[in-house]
Amino acid sequence: MNLPKTASVVIVGGGISGCAIAWNLAHRGVKDIVLVEKDTLSNGSTGRCGAGIRMQWGAEMNCHLAQYSVRFFENANETLEYERDIEFKQNGYLIVAANVREAAQFKKNVELQNRLGISSVYLSPQEAHKIVPIIDTSQFVAATFCPEDGHLNPFHTTEAFAQSAERLGVKIFKHTEVTGIDVSLGRIRAVETSRGRISTNTVVVAAGGWSKEIGAMAGVNIPIYVQRHQILVTEPMEPVFGPMVMGFDFNIYIQQVPHGSILMGRSDDTEPRDFRISSGWRFVEEMTKTCSRLLPALSQVNIIRQWSGHYCMTGDAQPIYGPVPEVEGMYLACGFSGHGFMLAPATGQLITDMILGEPLTIDVSNLDVGRFKRGELVFESSVV
Amino acid sequence: MLTTTGVADNNLIQRCLPSPSRRALRPYPVIECFQKIPCNPCSTSCPFHAILPMDSIHDIPVLDFEKCTGCGACARVCPGLAIFIIDESRGDGTGSVTLPYEFCSLPQKGEIVSTMNRAGYVVGEGTVIRVSAGKTSGTPLVTLSVPIEQVHDVRFFCSKKDTDQLVSKDGAEINTDKFINSEGVDDEAMICRCEGITRREICELIAEGYTTVDEIKRISRAGMGPCQARTCGPLIADEIARMTGQPRDSILPSMHRPPVIAQPISFFTGGDEK
Ligand SMILES: Cc1cc2nc3c(=O)[nH]c(=O)nc-3n(C[C@H](O)[C@H](O)[C@H](O)COP(=O)(O)OP(=O)(O)OC[C@H]3O[C@@H](n4cnc5c(N)ncnc54)[C@H](O)[C@@H]3O)c2cc1C
Ligand code: SF4
Ligand code: SF4
Ligand code: FES
Repeated sequence: MNLPKTASVVIVGGGISGCAIAWNLAHRGVKDIVLVEKDTLSNGSTGRCGAGIRMQWGAEMNCHLAQYSVRFFENANETLEYERDIEFKQNGYLIVAANVREAAQFKKNVELQNRLGISSVYLSPQEAHKIVPIIDTSQFVAATFCPEDGHLNPFHTTEAFAQSAERLGVKIFKHTEVTGIDVSLGRIRAVETSRGRISTNTVVVAAGGWSKEIGAMAGVNIPIYVQRHQILVTEPMEPVFGPMVMGFDFNIYIQQVPHGSILMGRSDDTEPRDFRISSGWRFVEEMTKTCSRLLPALSQVNIIRQWSGHYCMTGDAQPIYGPVPEVEGMYLACGFSGHGFMLAPATGQLITDMILGEPLTIDVSNLDVGRFKRGELVFESSVV
Repeated sequence: MLTTTGVADNNLIQRCLPSPSRRALRPYPVIECFQKIPCNPCSTSCPFHAILPMDSIHDIPVLDFEKCTGCGACARVCPGLAIFIIDESRGDGTGSVTLPYEFCSLPQKGEIVSTMNRAGYVVGEGTVIRVSAGKTSGTPLVTLSVPIEQVHDVRFFCSKKDTDQLVSKDGAEINTDKFINSEGVDDEAMICRCEGITRREICELIAEGYTTVDEIKRISRAGMGPCQARTCGPLIADEIARMTGQPRDSILPSMHRPPVIAQPISFFTGGDEK
């Protein structure tokens, strides 16, 4: 397949965001869409992530975005006509409070979530123990649980969007790197790639942590940075717990995937803020300590691999959605700060709303790139 | 026989045995590994270097019985459960068979069990004389004492109380049809043994356009198993090179990550947690 000379929209990045945007645009009738990916699909954060999705957020907008995405994923195998399986398992998220301060915040979160129609509940440690029988109840003071939260297989979910998009006419070019963006008189003119030039009026930057470099090609400063996040996986075993178990102050998320392996990760603010994705010893040590504290029964399970990816962070740990004021035709979908996988269906829908000039399905106008200059950061308490 | 029923015949077994004098001297392993599969832990695990180094991971293990002490380390690591330690030197009319046993729960020392042959038929009785669960990793080994003439026949056992439900030796014939695989032997060859993925499945993915080791891993799980692609990674790269016509050197492997071998969570938390 030769690279086309022109396109109506060029999407940069073949992660979950780029693929979801491509599918959404094509599904809603846009023709001549090209997606370029410098490596393979899922090569960035998407292929390295925990792929959990939860509706238990602390800010109303995030609840709406996650609700939209859960509803989409529930039928995604059919909607996207995927012949394999995206493995969406709704076994819930059990979020544990390490102290009374967290518990008080969780209580408020559940009130908000219930008001928005999210079926979360506030639980005592004993009630939580009924849901995850291997959890040590002496280690936490309260928990919240939402049975409709869950997790997916990130590779298959990305493939599902990409294959459906291709059937709708989107041209996906792997191993094709964007090397320049041609802007004149404040408008996008073309995208330069390692395989040639594509003239276009519209560029969507969905390049994850690399979005800053893409922005710079058009003379735009995108206020994001990357930071390494590590994760590990055990050998597969019999099902021992259903939900994702997560704690913010505890600093852990841990889940057993359908295949039987257990994935766990944590954050560390001293991690390097660059594209390094090596694996470190200290992570395993801290991670296994927290795991053995909360789920002591897992101590004999074998770890087979640790790896890492990066979060693409913003100043308020919220994504950047929307047009760039100084360059007409340039749209951003980046800065997901560690929760961009779960938002992908909403991302696709909203960026398409914006490109087509239609009313926003969910009001995300406060997530524009200008908020950092204006000092109008969005606050969300529930992030790892 | 082997390729149609999966059961090795006497001819093959005879070829695995050492000289009569060595048999009478001390225990020895019988390595019932007859096909060129991508596997080599036996050759790297023998503390006495009695299993010769392999040039290719597909090589069939070759044993130097003079160096071998019969310690059993190889039987513990063989993922194919293909190695048995035989002792004909006991001098009391009995011999012993040490076999890898992957089930829970382990038998008790002294227990009388029903012994079975390679095809799964009950052939007699044996006594459990040793159960060794292994200090760290590896498959538990169970040693049975059996009549000396049965040491090359007994390869498994089960609890006496389960024997009633089993077909006896002169019961129904083995249905060989389902083993027969006249064509396509190569295509059904396992490439990723950890995840059970055949060469045909890998080739179909390459034909669909997944032409990197990483893409095949993400979509099929080939390479995500406990060995972390140490066995299948190079074979997948071979197939990609062959089917896409790219030079083999240009096919990048999947990234190697720690740990080098699987370790339990408690290994990393050290002593301070317990
Ligand atoms: C350890 C870890 C755990 C996580 N857990 C979760 C979780 O449980 N739930 C959740 O929702 N999120 C999670 N995340 C976050 C999630 O992975 C990301 O937010 C999401 O995958 C972002 O997807 P993306 O498509 O925007 O970016 P990416 O997946 O990073 O994709 C960007 C793509 O752009 C390509 N690209 C870059 N530069 C160029 C160029 N010049 N030309 C062409 N292509 C280019 C890259 O190769 C890459 O494929 C986690 C992340 C990590 C690291
Ligand atoms: S029995 Fe022990 S000495 Fe003999 S080959 Fe096996 S590991 Fe080596
Ligand atoms: S470890 Fe077992 S299966 Fe593997 S080559 Fe050696 S004898 Fe054969
Ligand atoms: S053979 Fe172990 S992962 Fe493929």
